[in-house]
Amino acid sequence: MSQKIGSVLVAGGGIGAIQAALDLADSGYYVYMVEKAASIGGVMAQLDKTFPTNDCSMCIMSPKLVEVGRHINIELITLAQIEDIKGEKGNFEVEIFQKARYVDIDKCIGCGACAEKCPKKVNDEYNAGLAKRKAAYVPYPQAVPLKYTLDPQNCIKLTKGKCGLCSTVCPTDAINYEDTDKRFTLNVGSVILSTGFEAFKPDEMPYNYKNSPDVVTSLEFERLLSASGPFQGHVVRLSDHAEPKKIAWLQCVGSRDINTCGNGYCSSVCCMYAIKQSIIAKEHDPGLDCKIFYMDMRTYGKGFEECYNQAKDELGVKFERCRVHSVYNTGTQPGQIIEYISEDGVKTQEEFDIVVLSVGMEINKDVQEKAKAMGIELTDSGFCKTRTFAPTATSRDGIYVCGAFQAPKDIPQTVIEAGSAALCAGADISEVRGTLAREVQEPVIKDITGQRPKIGVFVCHCGINIGGVVDVPAVAEYAKTLPNVEYAEDNLYSCSQDAQDAIAKVIAEKELNRVIVAACSPRTHEPLFQETLLAAGLNKYLFEMVNIRNHDSWVHKDTPEKATEKAKDQVRMAVAKAAMLEPLTEANLSINQHALVIGGGISGMASAKALADHGYGVTLVERNEKLGGQANNLFMTAQGENIPEVTAQMAKDLMANEKVNVITSCTLKDVEGFVGNFKATLSYDGKEEVLEHGVAVVATGGAEYQPKEYMYREDERVLTSQHLDKKLRENDPSLDKVETAVFIQCVGSREPQRPYCSRLCCTHTMVSALELKKRKPEMSIFVLYRDIRTYAEKEFLYKEARDKGVIFIRYDLLNKPKVRKGSEKLEIEVIDHVLKRPVVIEADLLSLASAIVPNETDKISQFFKVPVNDQGFFVEAHVKLAPSDFSTDGVFLAGLAHYPKPIDEAIAQAQAAASSAVTLLASKEIATSGTVAWVNPAFCSGCGACVAVCPYNAPSIRKEEPYKGRAEINPVLCKGCGACVASCRSGALHLSGFDESQILAMVEEA
Amino acid sequence: MSEFEPKIITFLCNWCSYGAADLAGVSRFQYPPSMRVIRVPCSGRVSPKMILSAFRKGADGVWVSGCHPGDCHYISGNYYARRKFDVLNEMLEYVGIEKGRLHFSWISSAEGVKFAAVAKDVIETVTKLGPAKKFIKKLPEVA
Amino acid sequence: MDAYTDKIKEISKKILSEGKVDVVIGFRKGTLGYMSEPYMAKSEKEAENLVFDCNCRMNLVNYVTNRKDKVGIVVKGCDSRNLVTHIIENKIKREQLYIIGVPCTGLADKKALLDLAEGEITSVEDDNETITIKGDGFEKKVAKSDVLQSNCKTCIKRNPVIFDELAGPEVAELEISDRFADVDEVEKMSADERWNFFGELLSECTRCYACRNACPLCYCPTCFVDESRPQWVGKSDNETDVLTYHFLRAFHDAGRCTDCGACEAACPMDIKMRYFTRKTIKDCVEKYGSEAGMELDKRPALDQYKINDPNEFIK
Repeated sequence: MSQKIGSVLVAGGGIGAIQAALDLADSGYYVYMVEKAASIGGVMAQLDKTFPTNDCSMCIMSPKLVEVGRHINIELITLAQIEDIKGEKGNFEVEIFQKARYVDIDKCIGCGACAEKCPKKVNDEYNAGLAKRKAAYVPYPQAVPLKYTLDPQNCIKLTKGKCGLCSTVCPTDAINYEDTDKRFTLNVGSVILSTGFEAFKPDEMPYNYKNSPDVVTSLEFERLLSASGPFQGHVVRLSDHAEPKKIAWLQCVGSRDINTCGNGYCSSVCCMYAIKQSIIAKEHDPGLDCKIFYMDMRTYGKGFEECYNQAKDELGVKFERCRVHSVYNTGTQPGQIIEYISEDGVKTQEEFDIVVLSVGMEINKDVQEKAKAMGIELTDSGFCKTRTFAPTATSRDGIYVCGAFQAPKDIPQTVIEAGSAALCAGADISEVRGTLAREVQEPVIKDITGQRPKIGVFVCHCGINIGGVVDVPAVAEYAKTLPNVEYAEDNLYSCSQDAQDAIAKVIAEKELNRVIVAACSPRTHEPLFQETLLAAGLNKYLFEMVNIRNHDSWVHKDTPEKATEKAKDQVRMAVAKAAMLEPLTEANLSINQHALVIGGGISGMASAKALADHGYGVTLVERNEKLGGQANNLFMTAQGENIPEVTAQMAKDLMANEKVNVITSCTLKDVEGFVGNFKATLSYDGKEEVLEHGVAVVATGGAEYQPKEYMYREDERVLTSQHLDKKLRENDPSLDKVETAVFIQCVGSREPQRPYCSRLCCTHTMVSALELKKRKPEMSIFVLYRDIRTYAEKEFLYKEARDKGVIFIRYDLLNKPKVRKGSEKLEIEVIDHVLKRPVVIEADLLSLASAIVPNETDKISQFFKVPVNDQGFFVEAHVKLAPSDFSTDGVFLAGLAHYPKPIDEAIAQAQAAASSAVTLLASKEIATSGTVAWVNPAFCSGCGACVAVCPYNAPSIRKEEPYKGRAEINPVLCKGCGACVASCRSGALHLSGFDESQILAMVEEA
Repeated sequence: MSEFEPKIITFLCNWCSYGAADLAGVSRFQYPPSMRVIRVPCSGRVSPKMILSAFRKGADGVWVSGCHPGDCHYISGNYYARRKFDVLNEMLEYVGIEKGRLHFSWISSAEGVKFAAVAKDVIETVTKLGPAKKFIKKLPEVA
Repeated sequence: MDAYTDKIKEISKKILSEGKVDVVIGFRKGTLGYMSEPYMAKSEKEAENLVFDCNCRMNLVNYVTNRKDKVGIVVKGCDSRNLVTHIIENKIKREQLYIIGVPCTGLADKKALLDLAEGEITSVEDDNETITIKGDGFEKKVAKSDVLQSNCKTCIKRNPVIFDELAGPEVAELEISDRFADVDEVEKMSADERWNFFGELLSECTRCYACRNACPLCYCPTCFVDESRPQWVGKSDNETDVLTYHFLRAFHDAGRCTDCGACEAACPMDIKMRYFTRKTIKDCVEKYGSEAGMELDKRPALDQYKINDPNEFIK
């Protein structure tokens, strides 16, 4: 077998690829990120808000983009695609084709002079073609890498040999018209495919998309809604830029439709994004009339159903259940006519100003072809084939998949799979972990104790970006007159390599001990200059940045004198603060290398195995006698795997795993400590034992709701889904006698007292119904449902069930089915939604699709200080981007304790939780930030306000002397937000780097 | 007489509103040069002391901007801040500070347009009020 | 309220003799007939000195801050709410306390009594309906409602919210129609009028800090006005500094102040600083439905939030 390689290639640049790359790079692997666009970000970067919380998409994503861009173990390869993969698990040779950028990435400083002067305007893909960009461009302002690209199809110089303006204005000589496409090979240990999806193109659909600008795709509408979009977030009817009064959304365009487009699957996300868009559109204009035309409302995720109810009941978004027949122009006026058959069967025409087509997801044909050529099996719909118990493994060993390439899915599920894929990709090469990853060299830092402040001020022209408006030399001269300023100068480009070298030299020559750069934004450039300080032997916190470009020259073009005044004021403020800056230390704290997994169900077992695969010792505690949890009660997965068999094998393997200590019949008595240093008290075999561990995975699971309705427990023919599974598993002879079986969906779910959807019951019912049909094809089967939620390719099970003669009857919450004992059979009465009349079904078996409820969470919640929602599920750190993490560091979440989910998703989340845990464990030490809060105990009154407001449990009240009863901050847990400092009445709390005294000094000089 | 140009001390949270100001710059949205920006990690970091200090120093206006509710980089910082700001704002007006000297906003890092619009609005409102005269700590006059 | 005295003595003697507490913090008659003073009874004998009447204007919760021993304490409704805040804010543990609750019918306003007196007051009697002021050669009866201390007129909780034993049966709570009339009155003024109103209000303040010292909420080791790094508030009687002091003190009490009135009662210059604190009470009640110190598991309003808190003041 060939030598293993300690690097991973991640194909794609969307949120899935980003998460996978960060997980791997943080765990000691070198990562190549191969993205076909000019910068990373993917579709998420184009979104306005994210459902169901309506968080600003770019706000939550951009810190991740920056992290990838700056990670020393992630190499970005943009404008590139995989051509072929040779080799085998542990040692692959990946052939890459990279298009020319025509801009030298090392020289480009992202100033934008090229784009400003570029005469060629073309359609802007980022704005879904609704706006223009130049042929020299960055895809969007926050792009990573923030390096310009010449678009060879449109650049006048590249197409016609004329122009060349960009080259003349580029201040760093970065333009290279002679650049060429390249082919090269990368040698890596594992590969992750996170290539994402393409939005369905609705040109051929009968929805007037080609003919009217007022029919838009959902992605186009997303850009219309976005504040960074072509209309700054003012939604307009594109034909005449009038404000719309009525907007319609048409669901399932390019999904669940084999007749018109051949995409039989459900795209999983469109129901929620349509609801989101309607809510945001109504936020812009509360008088707006919004209507969503849908087939089944598929709000099956955490918080989705609540969001749907809010839109419907509180915000007045209208929902019409039907497949729209066609859309056409009104005639001479703007406006679109939608023709549909209403629920009552009436043919209706309704006029709208804008029609949004909720387009589905597809896999790029080229990606499909290449994948097949590389030996990666795809489903009939073109998605990457995976198995339930290895949810991110492709058919080719050592190659993993995550995100929409595996199946249509939302951001959190993508992020979970990214963690899972990263975990598996890393596990394959864990022996060579750290062999290729680079480490930051620790520079020697000068001691400045006792020195008076000697401040150096560097004022940047940024070419003409700043210098064209602000009198930069005057600002530098002014800086020289300020107290404590030892040296000041102006630079053409402070960020250029030569200026960096010069600054380092000046720091040494003038013995500067504080540095200020007045240039662009600290959000993009502070880390760069901090590195310069480090190189010069100065603590990186002795740096302050003044933004005289984005906040000054660029926004005060017409008042250069006042802009110069402002620049001087801001520099003076920075000097006042800089004089008070102190070198800050980043303390290191060792992390106990052992992991605790709480819960021995599928999720807990998968987590434990995943951690052990990476070489870490794991203690798994289970309160029952047997491992397996809910899986022991199930029968078969949607793909036909026998669940109890596989579960038993998993348990057996785990018991035999020497890295894993399984303790059953065990309860957790207490947990103290914090990330890296937990102490858990375990109680088992009549004794108590203290376990030290660095991380914990909470997988406490859930259970089937025990119905109080539909004669459950009153008649033995009424079963829950799990009970039916038991009969199927045991080939119960009573099943053979069943002539008619009825399934009732949403039993205990989507009700006022339990408003969430239990996500897996629709699919479960399809599997059971099909199995019954298989065993006894003549059996009559009825499914009484509210909405069928067989998302993604599970939709094919629904179709198969219909094809095999299963009859689906819809009921609504106000008219739930009634169950009674007939003379021989069970009688189930339901109002038929077509006939609007009660029908009575005589059945021998009634299976209730009972809700999933979480197990008890109170204790764990107290032990680890992690929150629980109204329904008793644990609350993750972030709904979208940290679905398997808690806000408490070092504690992770998986499985039913998070939300109801099928086995493949539970395993993916278990592996994602493990992946997050591995990134912590692998670093062996936690480096705290220097920017953390601290307490001066002499001033502390011990009131506990800091403890109350901190979301990270960093402050606590000292239990021991000295200063018993006063607050202290654990710097390891502190994120440096300063909420505690602002809440402290006693002046006892301080935030290094943003201390009250420093900020007040700035106020003083403002 | 030239038009009065106010001085407005502006606290921007690093993750959202500072980013919005950056984006307003990238987009070249113009607004008057009356603000002096102080970057803070989170709107939750802004203490009443800072706002009072600004007025005591003679600032004609103060503007604090953070992430939208739910978007806080630090989960809940802006929710706590919102209560503090509301109570403080009420009290300042109560003691006679003119309505319109103190401003709060939620601006996400994607809202460059909103940033410029609110900046203009804040500056215009404060300009109309004229120079601040209240709550200023005057240095003792030398006889 | 004089009737509570015997019961307070009885309870105090009992808990002192049983060793349940090391001390009972209550009141005894003062040297002036219209002022009762805080008293710490450490023995059954000393407990004989305890009294309770309408002259008990100090908030005794001030005396339990950071105590380590077991304490009996006499509290009215408002004080008991301060006790709750004290427990929440780790100033004392519930287990250390034996709380003798007084269902309160209100205190007499010191200035009102002095205005009525025709000489030195030797005693003030209170039967909950009528106040009898006695002195050398005069005796005056007045309806209690006419001489109530101003905070008692808008009291929302006369019965203690937390206690081990009551000194008498619970009294009916007041029905208040116009709780914040004084604050509303100020709010109706123009900005300049308000500015002048507060200038006038504070013009006599000498910054003696009697208000701060009387307040159980002001327990910081170093008050913000005494901070030196940075020293951002001057220590003189400069009008901006005086305003800053009262302003920020009230802000620090926001969500915590029970309007016990101890600050005003303690002020030698008769400054009505409750105009500040009552504004914060009004806002916390109206905006967050939060009354200070009502429940042991609810932190003060500014230590909490709700997702749908008022947002209209934010652009």
